Amino acid sequence: MNDFLQNNGFLIVTMVQQALLAMSLYYPLMCGQLSLASPGFYALGGYVAAIIGTIEYFAPWRDSLGWVIFPLEWLAAGIISGILALLVGIPALRLRGIYLALATIAFVEILRVICLNLTITGGAIGIFGVPQLFESRWSYIWTFGPLLILMLLFSYRLDCSRVGRAFKAIREDELAADAMGINPTRYKVLAFVIGAMLAGVVGAMSAPFLNTWNARQGTFDASIAYLAYVLIGGSRSMWGPLLGGALLAALPEILRPLKDSRLIINGLVLVFASIYMPQGIAGALGKLRDNVGRSFGFFRGGK
Amino acid sequence: MTVLLEAHQLSRYFGGLKAVNNVSFQVNDGEIFGLIGPNGAGKTTLFNLMTGLTPVSGGTLHYRGERLTGLPPYRIAGMGIGRTFQNIRLFKGLSALENVKVSQHVTTKSGLWGGVFCTPASRAEEKRVDEKAWELLHLIGLADRATELAANFSYGDQRRLEIGRALALEPQVLLLDEPAAGMNAAEKRGLTAFVREIRKEFKLTILLIEHHVPLVMNLCDRIAVLNFGELIAVGNPADVQKDPAVIEAYLGAE
Amino acid sequence: MTTAQFLQNLLNGISIGSVYAIFALGYTLVFSILGIINFAHGAIFTLGAYFTYTLAVGQFGINGLLSGLNLDLQVPFALSLLIGAVLAGLVGVLLERLAFKPLRTRGADSLLALVSSLGVALVIVNAIQYLVGAEIYTFPSQVYGDIKPAIMFEISGQPVVVRTVQVIIFAVCMVILALLGYVISFTRIGKALQAVAENQTTASLLGISVDRIILVTFFMSGFLGGLAGTLVGTSFGIAGPYFGVTYGLKGLAVIVLGGLGSIPGAVLGGIVIGLAEAFVPPDYSAYKEAVAFAFLFIVLLVRPQGLLGRSLIQKV
Repeated sequence: MNDFLQNNGFLIVTMVQQALLAMSLYYPLMCGQLSLASPGFYALGGYVAAIIGTIEYFAPWRDSLGWVIFPLEWLAAGIISGILALLVGIPALRLRGIYLALATIAFVEILRVICLNLTITGGAIGIFGVPQLFESRWSYIWTFGPLLILMLLFSYRLDCSRVGRAFKAIREDELAADAMGINPTRYKVLAFVIGAMLAGVVGAMSAPFLNTWNARQGTFDASIAYLAYVLIGGSRSMWGPLLGGALLAALPEILRPLKDSRLIINGLVLVFASIYMPQGIAGALGKLRDNVGRSFGFFRGGK
Repeated sequence: MTVLLEAHQLSRYFGGLKAVNNVSFQVNDGEIFGLIGPNGAGKTTLFNLMTGLTPVSGGTLHYRGERLTGLPPYRIAGMGIGRTFQNIRLFKGLSALENVKVSQHVTTKSGLWGGVFCTPASRAEEKRVDEKAWELLHLIGLADRATELAANFSYGDQRRLEIGRALALEPQVLLLDEPAAGMNAAEKRGLTAFVREIRKEFKLTILLIEHHVPLVMNLCDRIAVLNFGELIAVGNPADVQKDPAVIEAYLGAE
Repeated sequence: MTTAQFLQNLLNGISIGSVYAIFALGYTLVFSILGIINFAHGAIFTLGAYFTYTLAVGQFGINGLLSGLNLDLQVPFALSLLIGAVLAGLVGVLLERLAFKPLRTRGADSLLALVSSLGVALVIVNAIQYLVGAEIYTFPSQVYGDIKPAIMFEISGQPVVVRTVQVIIFAVCMVILALLGYVISFTRIGKALQAVAENQTTASLLGISVDRIILVTFFMSGFLGGLAGTLVGTSFGIAGPYFGVTYGLKGLAVIVLGGLGSIPGAVLGGIVIGLAEAFVPPDYSAYKEAVAFAFLFIVLLVRPQGLLGRSLIQKV
């Protein structure tokens, strides 16, 4: 067991990390907003952690605080991401559908080019030697794991709260929600900020995990990968991003025996999953459960 | 009798089309006020102006002396003006229960943290929301199908659910846009009784757009007639029915 | 900036801008018919360049399944360019059948089309890498025939140098734009295409085979994408299987700038972004890659319907 964890630790932690990033897209989607901005906030959060962890200015802090500096990095990353999300979100969330998606892609790209050129972010090379929180890769499950559990609890409670209902009402029909007393802009921005803060914190946790940080962390490819996680996992329940993120992150590893052709198969999986599982894995599992339940006569109500 | 709503020279132009043109009227507290007119007369546009969904081109609208024009829809809803839609705009992917819970938004206030951390205040509030939602579902007769998705309901049930959803706002004014559309004769009679019942129970003032003239004549205290965006008559049903301008508008439209 | 520098930037900008334009038209055509964005368009751009390279040069490097292969087909370049674009168009048709049609027939969420087209893009890009490796391939300088590499002339005593390749690219793009304009405005198929873009139901009632028009659209889209890929490849080399990604994204900026679904808008948007990039001062050249996206972001916030798009009025 121990060997298994040591050998596959990196993969398992990556699965949890990607599931968290998928969740960061899920909150805006809860209000029907397709935002692809997560990689930008993820990269930003990572830079915050990498900079606090490496530059001279913070050296006294690091020495006196010890490991406490890490939670502070997460906090700083969350707050900075949240503020930037507020600034970007208020104008951008007036856009709908594909227009919002394109605006957020532009945001990610602009941020990437800026990070590629600033001195503080290490330019094209990035930042190396980000201090480690743990010695083994596997141990990072103790940062990402609790965050995932926390976010699942958060999502579960959110779903049946007043704010969560407002989110879903906006997703179903923004105009009707408006006429029922819900301020759409306010809640769309709120959902966007929640997603951004989550991505920022995940970034801050990932910089020590990956040891190095550069502009390749926040790219368009990542935007689409996260979107694929959510859509293939299922965008209508919190289990969707969890399943999608974890499984798709593991897919290249699962396909490793196929060697060079594995990424081709990876692409085919995306095509077939979107064609044959329109409600995502979570939706397909839900349907399966309903069918099985019905055939045993356990399931009452419904149509 | 106090004046509750006052429209003063309300106008809305779409390009060259005068959808609503210089319309002025008053609605008294507690009355059922009918809005009739041929297709395209501007009735729904008038509702959209009153609820802020369409910005006005000119004129003002006051509610209890407060100006509504220029306010966003959610603020107007928050002041106690609920509505239904001609083409039914339920939250189709949500259950009937959730639909009725959603619009209790304005009467509740728990925020993100309260909801997520389940603070006592928010838990108590959630309990009230739940009770109220069930009460309303019983009232509209859909309590036994509370967990079904709104999309699965029949046309008539969807219209009733929309009224239930609007009532959850605890409105003082209810705007019903063709509530009887698509209903059969028995359902229409039921609706008449239902509208009277909710007016009494919730002390509502009701504005009603309807094509079915007998229903309007039977139900409404006063009626306004719109034609090509202009108000051509206001008064009690018997008088309006005899008004030559109204007769011409209807016969001309045939 | 001197007049000579200005002129040079202008020529560079118009040249690359015209490539952006024909590439972006591929997005626009599909968007105007189906209302979706084909995220595999960048991969088709890449594929077109590789097709042409295979036909015209056919000499592969040391990586991938085809390593060391020398096809030496010696197809004349102009013909290779054409065949490469046609093949890219056929891949576009295949893409529509595999990734878009099944979703459309089911009336699925249009977001899923983004994912399935991205899946196809992954397949294409990785298949290229699998076959010919991730190395850079360049077209020999004489692909366009025996021409001088640069045209030099003087403006008020200062030299202006224009790469001949860019002039040729510009000329090819103009020919293609003229052809496309002719096809869309004056031919039966073009008129059918416009009808389908306007309203699919009405078009099918008029007896137009919507399905066939969609196929034609994807063919034209792929053709334009593949052609653009080859043109960029001859100018800057084919920088590996991923070299279409940046262009794919810039293409999005172009169509939004011009107005989604607007054909003249895509041309205008392409030229504007090409020029804007060309006029980035040398000191800030590192930020050149962000110019298109800055445009995209600002345009979306200020004028979401784009420069030439129709305004988006929502019906209550």
